[in-house]
Amino acid sequence: MTHDVRDGLKYTKTHEWVKLTGAKAKIGITDHAQEELTDIVFVELPTVGKEVKKGDELCVVESVKSVSEVYTPVSGKVVAVNTKLDDSPEIINGSPYDDGWLVEIEVKDKSEVNTLLDAAAYKKL
Amino acid sequence: MVLRSPLYENQVKLGAKFTEFAGFEMPIQYSSIREEHFVVRKKVGLFDVSHMSNVWITGSDAAKLISLTTVEDASRVEDGKSQYTAILRENGTIIDDTIFMHLNEKFMMIPNAGMNQIVTKWLNEQAKKHHLKAKAEDVSREYVILAIQGPKSKETLQKLTQTDLDMVKFFGCQVVKVADVECILSHTGYTGELGFELQITPTKKAAVVFDALLSAGDEFGIQPIGLGARDTLRLEKAFMLAGNEFEGGRTPLEATLGWTIFWDHEFIGKEALLKQKEQETYQRMTCLECVEKGIPRHKCEIQKDGTVVGIVTSGTLSPCLNIGIAMGYVMPDKREVGSILDIMVRDKPVKAKVMKPPFVPKDWAQKYERIAT
Repeated sequence: MTHDVRDGLKYTKTHEWVKLTGAKAKIGITDHAQEELTDIVFVELPTVGKEVKKGDELCVVESVKSVSEVYTPVSGKVVAVNTKLDDSPEIINGSPYDDGWLVEIEVKDKSEVNTLLDAAAYKKL
Repeated sequence: MVLRSPLYENQVKLGAKFTEFAGFEMPIQYSSIREEHFVVRKKVGLFDVSHMSNVWITGSDAAKLISLTTVEDASRVEDGKSQYTAILRENGTIIDDTIFMHLNEKFMMIPNAGMNQIVTKWLNEQAKKHHLKAKAEDVSREYVILAIQGPKSKETLQKLTQTDLDMVKFFGCQVVKVADVECILSHTGYTGELGFELQITPTKKAAVVFDALLSAGDEFGIQPIGLGARDTLRLEKAFMLAGNEFEGGRTPLEATLGWTIFWDHEFIGKEALLKQKEQETYQRMTCLECVEKGIPRHKCEIQKDGTVVGIVTSGTLSPCLNIGIAMGYVMPDKREVGSILDIMVRDKPVKAKVMKPPFVPKDWAQKYERIAT
């Protein structure tokens, strides 16, 4: 894989990333995922306050041709969404790990994060 | 078995991403669908559409066979002309939409991808049943089909042929040499832009033409284009995609292809169409432009005041308009231009306005372009 994989983040097999800071986890899609999608043109974000369980559908990311669900890698409450994506969903293509984050979740159980892949393991996929 | 174009290796080298479509592994995109879309609207793009079919129709009754099996009276189509038409079942529904080219005594029909055997068999059965001296021959795998489309397509192609392209009228067809390779040229396309299509045999000669066109178009910014942009380009013009718009059996009246029907001749399906014409209560192809955020997709329901009134057959985000657009079937009393319907996207209504096609007008780039690429 020639795509950017950041150290220090946790990953899923379905190409989401998680960045845990204290009890809050930022979630996004990986460089590989944005490249596969190309031309992201629409993002449907959840409402702030929504309770989600690991594996639930969190957002929908659409490219010109395809619709992809993003599943939450952790359980908890949505405390913030990246509203910039409403008008400029293409930010995800340019900056999947920084400006293109999707959702911030207040994590219920931090140990859930530990079960995710680390950068080295994700690179091997 | 998945088939590949004879140009597969060239496409791999150009960085294509592939998808399976109607049994073929074809490029879906090279750079990005959006970028390729704008290259065709503004400059020139080169498509390999070899997944489409080629069927020769020959014999002294060739024109009669086409007239019997399509909504067109082929005797009206002069030598050197291409014609868009539809092949119907007895019940009036569309087997396939197609273009046929009148080339001297013969006709070449271009059915959709994967329709070669069905159409060939149907034509030969009808020829036999109606005692016509005509034969349909499937030569799909002997041809590569290239489409060069966009405002700079004519200038690009002209560099490689002695034939004066100004003399080839819209929907004209003839045999020409391009980069010293004999091709059947047709002034047609599926993008709504100025463009040409080339049928090339034997297939091993196609790479020469493909490469020559890319070189000749270099000064105009030519790019190879995948099926992704082909779909968004045709949708902005509300052109039919057989697998979507005729899914489940649709008549040309339902598909608003009434203009293609030449009523003054006998053809298979005519009786059923005449009956349907007397009714008012059948769904018709309708163009919808979203007036709020959301992207309609294939099979989304269309509702009015919470009641289902139709279904989306094709939908996308229009790269030129940057809004969702859809084609779908709606009952006639719900499709007045300007009226608002709800397209159900993931169970949420997205408001959309009934439009007159096309969504994107002719020569959009020259007249309306406002999005920087």
